[in-house]
Amino acid sequence: MGSTGPANIVIDGTGALADSLRAAAIAVECPTTVVVTRIATRAVPFDQLTDADFDESWEQPMREAIEAFQAAHHARHERLIALVPTIGMSGAAGLAHVAATAEAVRVMVKSAARQWGADGMTVNCIALAPELFEIDPEAVGAVSLAPLALAGKGSVADDVVPLIRMVASADAHHITGATLNADGGLWMTS
Amino acid sequence: MSPSTSRSASQRLAGRTAIVTGAGQGVGEGIARRLAAEGANVVVAARRADTGEPVAAAIRDAGGSAVCIETDVSSRESVESCVAETVARFGSLQIMVHNAFRGGIPHRLEDADLDKHWNHMSRTGVWAVMYCGQAAWPHLRHSGATGRFIILTSPSGIEGSANIPLYSPVKAAERAMAKSLAREWGPSGVTVNCIGPVASSPALVTAFERTPTLKGAIEARTPLGRVGDPEADIGSVALFLAGDDAAFVTGQTIICDGGSFLGL
Repeated sequence: MGSTGPANIVIDGTGALADSLRAAAIAVECPTTVVVTRIATRAVPFDQLTDADFDESWEQPMREAIEAFQAAHHARHERLIALVPTIGMSGAAGLAHVAATAEAVRVMVKSAARQWGADGMTVNCIALAPELFEIDPEAVGAVSLAPLALAGKGSVADDVVPLIRMVASADAHHITGATLNADGGLWMTS
Repeated sequence: MSPSTSRSASQRLAGRTAIVTGAGQGVGEGIARRLAAEGANVVVAARRADTGEPVAAAIRDAGGSAVCIETDVSSRESVESCVAETVARFGSLQIMVHNAFRGGIPHRLEDADLDKHWNHMSRTGVWAVMYCGQAAWPHLRHSGATGRFIILTSPSGIEGSANIPLYSPVKAAERAMAKSLAREWGPSGVTVNCIGPVASSPALVTAFERTPTLKGAIEARTPLGRVGDPEADIGSVALFLAGDDAAFVTGQTIICDGGSFLGL
C-alpha cells in the first residue's frame, strides 16, 4: 500500500494521517519509509470484543506493519519511521485492542533497530496524539493527571512533518530505536 | 524443578481459586506451586495432561489443592471450557494467570515468514490474553477487590529483541492490554498486572542449547548473576500480585530478572 511522494520517501498506510503526509510531499535527505500504523478507532468494552473485532484491530494491522517494515528494508532505505498513537504507552479503557497494536509497533521498531543498524538503516518511532489517528479523545479519557502541556491538538503540517524531516536527515544518523513523543506533552514517560 | 514448596503457615490465598495457563512446566509450574502452597485451589491449565497432571499431583502430594485441565489458550472454546470447569469444581475464580506461550525461533525480521515466525506467538500471546481475560472477567468482577489478572510478559516487550524480533511486539502488546484493562476494570477492584521474568524454563534451556554463549551473556549482564528460579523467584512475585498486599497495584509490569533490565 506504499505510495511515493518525492522520489526518496514512501508513505505506507491509509487514512487521513497518511493522506496528509502524502499531500505534504515531504522533502527528506535520506531515503525513507514512513509507516503509518493502521489503528482501529472504535472503543469496545473488552468483554464484548469479538474475534472479528480483534482480527481487524490487531492481527491484520500487525501483519501489514511487519510487511511494511520488510519492504522498507528490501528497498534499502536508510530511515524507517513508524507513526503510532501514544495510547499504546498509556493504555485506555475500551481500547485494549487498539493499544495492543500501537505498542507492538513501537517496540517492533526497537527490534528492527537492533537488527538493521548494521545494514545502515535507522528505525525510529514518532508517537502522536490519538486524535491524529482519528481516535475520539473522549474515548481515550484522562490518561494523565496533568493537563496538556502545549496548547492545541497538533497538526500534521506543523508538528509531524518537521519531525519526519529531522529523523530522515543525515544529522540523525546516530538516533535509532528511539520514540519521539509529539503529543503536546500529554504523556511524559519514556 | 525442586519438590513443591511445602504448605505455608500463612495461607495467604486460602479459599481462593487460581488458573495458571502453561503450568505443566517452567515458570507456569513454579507459579502454580507457589500459589498452591499459600492455600489457593490451583487449576494447572496445560495443553497436554501428560505434563499438567504430574504438576497437579505433586501439589496434591504436598498437601495442596490442584487439578489439571487440558487447555489450548489459542482456542476461545477451550479457554471458556477451562474457566467453566474451574468454577463448577471450586465455586469461584479469583486469579487468572496467563503464562502459556509458544515461543519464537530466531529469525531475521526482513525475512520473517508470518506463518512460521509470527502466527503462533500472536495466537498464544495476544489472542490468548483476550480469551483468558474475557472468560475470567465475570468471575473476577464478582470477586471484586480480590480479582486478579496476571500476564507473563518479557523484558523484550520493552527493549526489543535482536534475536527474535517478532517476539517483542507480542510481549509489548500484552503490556499495553494490561494497562488498558487496569483502567477499564479498576472501578470493579480487579487489578491487572504483568510480570517480566527471566527464569529457568524449558524454553530458556532450549535457547541456551541453540546459542551456547547466551547463558553466560545473561549472567554477565545480570547484577544478581544468575537466572531466576520459577517457583522461588517468579512464583513469589506472582503470589504478591495475587494477594491482598498488591490490592493497590494495577497496570504495572514487575520485571523479575535479577536486575538485567533496568530501563523502567
